[in-house]
Amino acid sequence: MNVEERIRIEPDGSVTAFSGKIEFGQGIRTAFAQLVANELDVPVERVRVVLGDTAQVPFDFGTFGSNSVAQEAPALRLAAAFARRSLIGRASAQLGIPAARLDTKGGTIGDGDGRRISYADLVRDAPLAGAVPEDEPLLPPERWRHIGTPLARVEARDIVTGRARYTADVRLDRLARGAIARPPVRGARATRVDDRAARAVPGVIAVVHDGDIVGVVAEREEQARAAADALEIDWETPQRASSETQVVPMREDAGTDAALASAALTRSATYTLPSIASASIGPSAAVVDVRSDGATVYAGTHRPFGLRDAVAGSVGLPKESVRVMPQMSSGTYGRSSAPDVSVEAAVLSKHARRPVLVQWSRAEEFAHSPSRPEAVLEVTAGLDASGHMVAWRYDEHTNVHTAAGPDPRVAAMTSGRNAVPPYTIPSARVVLHVEPTPLRTANFRSLAAAENVFAIESFVDELAHASQQDPLAFRLRHVDDPRLRRVIERVAEVSAYGKKLPARHGHGFACTLYHGTYVAQVAEVEVAASGAVRVLRVWCVVDPGLVINPEGVRNQVEGGIQQSASWTLLEELRHKDGRVATTSWDMYPIATFRDAPESIEVLVEGDRGAPSTGVGEPGAVPTSAAIANAVFAACGARVRDVPLTPERVRKGMPAGAG
Amino acid sequence: MRLVFSVNGTKREVDPPPAASLLSVLRDDLGLTGTRFGCGSGQCGACSVIVDGRAVASCLMPARQAVDREITTIEGLATGEALHPVQEAFIAEDAMQCGYCTSGMIIAAAALLARDTAPDEAAIRDALAGNLCRCGVYGRAIRAVQRAAGTRAVAAGSSPAMYR
Repeated sequence: MNVEERIRIEPDGSVTAFSGKIEFGQGIRTAFAQLVANELDVPVERVRVVLGDTAQVPFDFGTFGSNSVAQEAPALRLAAAFARRSLIGRASAQLGIPAARLDTKGGTIGDGDGRRISYADLVRDAPLAGAVPEDEPLLPPERWRHIGTPLARVEARDIVTGRARYTADVRLDRLARGAIARPPVRGARATRVDDRAARAVPGVIAVVHDGDIVGVVAEREEQARAAADALEIDWETPQRASSETQVVPMREDAGTDAALASAALTRSATYTLPSIASASIGPSAAVVDVRSDGATVYAGTHRPFGLRDAVAGSVGLPKESVRVMPQMSSGTYGRSSAPDVSVEAAVLSKHARRPVLVQWSRAEEFAHSPSRPEAVLEVTAGLDASGHMVAWRYDEHTNVHTAAGPDPRVAAMTSGRNAVPPYTIPSARVVLHVEPTPLRTANFRSLAAAENVFAIESFVDELAHASQQDPLAFRLRHVDDPRLRRVIERVAEVSAYGKKLPARHGHGFACTLYHGTYVAQVAEVEVAASGAVRVLRVWCVVDPGLVINPEGVRNQVEGGIQQSASWTLLEELRHKDGRVATTSWDMYPIATFRDAPESIEVLVEGDRGAPSTGVGEPGAVPTSAAIANAVFAACGARVRDVPLTPERVRKGMPAGAG
Repeated sequence: MRLVFSVNGTKREVDPPPAASLLSVLRDDLGLTGTRFGCGSGQCGACSVIVDGRAVASCLMPARQAVDREITTIEGLATGEALHPVQEAFIAEDAMQCGYCTSGMIIAAAALLARDTAPDEAAIRDALAGNLCRCGVYGRAIRAVQRAAGTRAVAAGSSPAMYR
């Protein structure tokens, strides 16, 4: 890594930092600014962070897996530390003072005698450049001014004043609007397009039929939509190539079946989760300007370089001539790994010879976006006479979890994420079955971890109750990792887990280790006689290693819990004949202000000696099980099917409990 | 269709197609893109603006119905560099993630506080119930509205530092 790929000192002495990761509201721009400000010893407002602009940032594979801080923090810190040392070297030469007697302060370098020079002056003749050693020394903790300090989002003022520019807010000269005609069946191709009525709509610039894309470009959005609706199209539905189930063994200990057969107590259960929508508040959008010599793409994307290549391929341009400039984006939680809307805008722009903005309608967003796949999770476990787990068998049935499609090399870490429990069990067999589906499925927050952890943490709770053990103590018997033990014990403490609660209230516990981040949660719910569940309070202890911005971590984890509570109690995408039938928010209610818990208390207790890990996804992962376990504690209903609707909860209540 | 609006205290003249919504006029004719498109059917609150003192879904309001009314968008809440108390409070509580729904939430909260200076928590939840947030900042937004209303004690040092 060369410093100039990551850090530039501007002529005014401010600092620009570069990363290929993307901001979707996780607060990474803020955390990166803090890291760089910390090592360069400058005020944080002097740092500007460029994210994902393919003309400016080093290659990055994509923003997913809660890996942004984990991957980028070391690189940005090292580069900034090297920049600081290089500046001190230059100052030493210019001032004629040994480097050892110089120190940085607020973007200047000086000695104790008042001789001082600014970073701006030190880069006037030559920008910083050169290879950053992997062992570049970092500032010692006693010099940290920004790491570990709570900071509001650097974009906050722009967001609250409406000045923040999201993709659909990009306004270019001659910007036209596009709308796409959607096929009745996924994958259908237009064989005939009659555009006479469409061309009569005022403002229409072009009707486009190029490969799989049929659409209209017009001066205004209303006109583009009206014209797209006026197209008369014959569609041909291709025979779908059938694919096979991929069976991926994830853990296979010899003797698991024998250990199950000889266990003192065995239990089996099956858990199901439906397909759910990413349900971004802002529908997918892209502005693309295709010219003869290149293209510029303004979009929200998890994969700026992947998007660049996809757009280049769709309009026949060399990829080097395409620049992706990521804009602020509505949270999409993984959905924007697919290049779809940008490819549509690119093809329309190419034919219209104008920059084109395409923003999907709400109905398109529900019906045509990729969705989180459904899952069926079968689990059997055996306990010995002392109540210890001795055998575990787990079969996960789901679909592909990534926009890239089936890939046996990554199936275990995507569709099989967190299928292997974090507990010490002598014999286990964990098998992933990735099954074909006619639906369009793709990346969604935590991939399969939320589903697997719902099943595992619900089932462990069931095992504890079946063997008359406290659910928390039962888990601790099977946990060796001291950091996992600590978050479990801490959340029990802060939530007063196990204390007597009012009638129909219950506490439920769940935990996870997700990509290096430790999370333990307790939910308190109230269950009405109708079976309606209200989440009253959630406590969470999270250990993501060294914490850059505690406020950012809290916010992410709270949000993950809130979103996951919504999945758990409310969400299910409806299908009909292999298509998504959901088209509006009234068909897909998500949690509102009225549903929000009274409190979500997140304690950020990161291990400072451990590397920084992510927090965007982990907070959401254990919440479904914590709620389901709390429902059981409150009313005796063990609900194994998400969402936990009032009907399911009521049906699950033991006789006399309702 | 020539229309004259009063937007954020200024008279603006536009010439949109007859069926244009207030949202499309704000965003596409007046360049006020802080009001966001979310669903086009009044179900998400992202496009909320204040019309004659009430928060309304601008996607549902035909532009011609907004003539002769006082419209306030997110861009019109601050007075110069001085933010509206609700805007200040949303920053102080870090009550945002992606920020896409934030304009609508702040508009709904400002309209609420203009008619009820000290709403209780239930009133805040009710007033903002039409503003969907997928990132999950509801709890923070409730605290922000309470903070703006002065109905919640705020301990010194309880807010993250602000970045100016």
